[in-house]
Amino acid sequence: MTALLSVQRVTKVFGGLTAVDGVDLDIEERSITSLIGPNGAGKTTLFNCLTGLHRPEVGEILFSGSSLIGLRPDEITDRGVARTYQNIRLFGRMTALENVLVGQHLRLEASHWSAVLRTARQQSEERAARELARDLLDFVGLSGREGVVSTNLPYGDQRLLEVARALGSRPRLLLLDEPAAGMNPSETDRMMDLVHRLRDEKGITVFLIEHDMKVVMSISESVAVLDYGEKIAEGTPEEVRANARVVEAYLGPEVEVQEATESASH
Amino acid sequence: MPVESATRAVRTGLVAFAFLAYLIFIGVPGKIGGSALPVLALISALFIWLALRRESAALSGTAVDPGPGAYQKKPGWEIGPRDTSDASPFVDHLPFSVVTGFVLKGVLAGCTTGLLIAVLSGVSATAMGNGVSIQPVFDKIVPVNVAALIGVSPGQIAQAEVPLLRFVLQVLFFAGAGLLAALVAAAARSSQSQAEQLARLTTRLSGPTTVNVARYAGVALPFLLLAYIAWLGLPGVSVFGSNEGTIRLLITLIATGSGLFALRLSLPGRERTVVGVLLGLGVLAMPFILDQFQNSVMGLVFIFVMMGLGLNIVVGYAGLLDLGYVAFFAIGAYTYAFLSAPFSSPYVSSLLLLLGVAPESPLLGYWMALPVAMLTAAAGGILLGIPVLRMRGDYLAIVTLGFGEIIRLFMLNLGELTNGPRGILEISQPALFGLSPSSVTFGLLSSQGWIFLLALVSSALVAFVAIRLNDSRLGRAWFAMQEDEDVAEATGVHLVRTKLLAFAIGATFAGMAGQLYAARQINIFPENFSLFVSIDALALIIVGGIGSPAGIVLGALALKGLPEVLRGVDEYRIVTFAALLVIMMIVRPAGILPSARRRIQINDPNEMGPDSKIVSDGEAEVVQTAGVAKNAANGQEEAM
Repeated sequence: MTALLSVQRVTKVFGGLTAVDGVDLDIEERSITSLIGPNGAGKTTLFNCLTGLHRPEVGEILFSGSSLIGLRPDEITDRGVARTYQNIRLFGRMTALENVLVGQHLRLEASHWSAVLRTARQQSEERAARELARDLLDFVGLSGREGVVSTNLPYGDQRLLEVARALGSRPRLLLLDEPAAGMNPSETDRMMDLVHRLRDEKGITVFLIEHDMKVVMSISESVAVLDYGEKIAEGTPEEVRANARVVEAYLGPEVEVQEATESASH
Repeated sequence: MPVESATRAVRTGLVAFAFLAYLIFIGVPGKIGGSALPVLALISALFIWLALRRESAALSGTAVDPGPGAYQKKPGWEIGPRDTSDASPFVDHLPFSVVTGFVLKGVLAGCTTGLLIAVLSGVSATAMGNGVSIQPVFDKIVPVNVAALIGVSPGQIAQAEVPLLRFVLQVLFFAGAGLLAALVAAAARSSQSQAEQLARLTTRLSGPTTVNVARYAGVALPFLLLAYIAWLGLPGVSVFGSNEGTIRLLITLIATGSGLFALRLSLPGRERTVVGVLLGLGVLAMPFILDQFQNSVMGLVFIFVMMGLGLNIVVGYAGLLDLGYVAFFAIGAYTYAFLSAPFSSPYVSSLLLLLGVAPESPLLGYWMALPVAMLTAAAGGILLGIPVLRMRGDYLAIVTLGFGEIIRLFMLNLGELTNGPRGILEISQPALFGLSPSSVTFGLLSSQGWIFLLALVSSALVAFVAIRLNDSRLGRAWFAMQEDEDVAEATGVHLVRTKLLAFAIGATFAGMAGQLYAARQINIFPENFSLFVSIDALALIIVGGIGSPAGIVLGALALKGLPEVLRGVDEYRIVTFAALLVIMMIVRPAGILPSARRRIQINDPNEMGPDSKIVSDGEAEVVQTAGVAKNAANGQEEAM
């Protein structure tokens, strides 16, 4: 089985800083993969490369067999890759429903003339779009919140709305950038449940960045670890947890810790 | 009443008096004439109202919670209350003591101002009556000025024949103004829905049954005014030293504006349809009723409505600040001028020769030229759009500003093509079915009336297209782009196409406006298309309310119509106008009739949501924390 997403030797340089350094990564269709690593490891930069916000200097990104390199962000979304953002970036003054409608923008085809004339076709398309938007809001657990202006939603709901907006473009691959950041335990549980349902009910492949190890270990089927832009480990959660380099990346080299305790005891 | 609030009220009165004294010293009452006292009283009422409003914000119980229902179904263009089902705006009645407090404060402030004014005019009148010349001190306090203030003729002052009653009347006037301000402030304090402003006052005083009466009165007001213009004509009143024609124009402006407010006041559904149709008919009747001068002003107003609606697509919907919008207006105007004026540049005629068309004049009639002008302007829009695709904010504004100037300088300096500063003369008039105002008297319609009518129909068309586009996926893409360009692109919005569409559609509307403007002016010159046209267009959408078509019409009425009415007070025209704008921006920062989205932006976003913390009880509790006080202040803003 070929991978849905195949990242090959992708390198992104900002000035003198190599943010992403020759990363190779394969993501299987209908899998849940986590990307972890310390702050500044280049996780979000990799996401930005995948969605066309940055263009990698070296490397190839294949999505179901065709290259994403050099495509505009909206073209990549059109191919079936959608994402959420680490710092929530909703269309603040739009309602929840409108946010999801914008998410569907690519999938609506009625011409602008037909919008002026309100042709039957355009009207039925709009109705269907609203219907779908409501369904998606229900799916992520925001039923009854259609009319709320998105900045007024509670923090956790804003994250859910970002997922719903991303679903509007009917993606095959969904990139979630720290979906559980800043959430309380019950909100985190809701989000984890949602990620499972995305895969099981909608058949969407999920690739997520996460810091909360509880979340990472319990939902992902495979985990990739970045440190200083390089991939240092990959495998099942158990394998990664046992990997010495990963522990080192998160906690620092063991020697230093010993030295530090020794010097403290003196 | 506690001493503290009494002092505050007196202080408000003093401030109002200080401003009025300034007006008196610069000679405003003399200019206004007989109606000076009511005008000054109204100005003081404004002061008192502002003060009371601020004070009331410090009290809790403002209970302005539009809730999620206030902004639910439609994108921002729709005017009027969004959802009436959950609106129960008259639940919280202010306690009687609070209303009384307001009234007392208002009257006290008014009396303070009134007494001081009475003393000022009394002293002046006495001095003048006794033959003392105070002109060296205040050379502007001439007898006519003081006489206007007291409401007598200058001769009576000279003969010391001013009855005491006049001074009492002055105090009463100002006390009344204070009372009015207090009532308005008290009524607004208990508001929950912006729409019921007018009805609120009466509800406060009697009960919910009067709500409908008040609303219908509000709705009927513009039509009553229209009927008044149409059938009765006007008595020879004189305000601001202006003639009957200007007064008629003023009433026309007010009628149109209040009609728009009535539209917002009306309930969605059948009532709104009825109001809309009546308003439409009333406005359509205007070109037939008004005279040449009034029609020419109204024509200009509605040409600017078209401009505003077009610019609103670029600035209001897509969020691209365009300061060179006049360019497309000029392109439209000059395109029509080339096609319809006797002037023929060698370039155009050689082009015609190539095409094998006989160079006759006019080349194309108004209607044939319309698509040409629109397409040329749209092409100009795309031409401007392409280089600025990657620019945002200030940079975009500066580049577009330059573009506007470039087009004007083209017109000025390409002498052979555009006849340079001598302009293009004798542009032909729009005809319909072979009838044109210049050939036939066109029944009741004057030539400017015809232009006004065309402007009305065109702006209705433009508004229709703009509203529908904004309500479609294109409108959502525009707004998403305005909110966050990068995310919009990553969500699937094709930025290049969406931006260019905004520029092109906006430019098309300006082209239509420009063509009509050329027809209205008959002769056009490059200086007609200066930067100030762009600024006017931008100012009118900001004053009216960005993103709201009804607001834009109001903005055009205020910015292009009012200055014509104020011609009578020539030297104070700009000052008055500037003051109006400043007051506007304080009182309604989001515009006169803002779109729902703008209100969210200008006011604290937390105000609008269901989770916002707003103290809901009607009791006059003193708010503890500054944060909540601020909330209440914002809520008050919302209410006004």
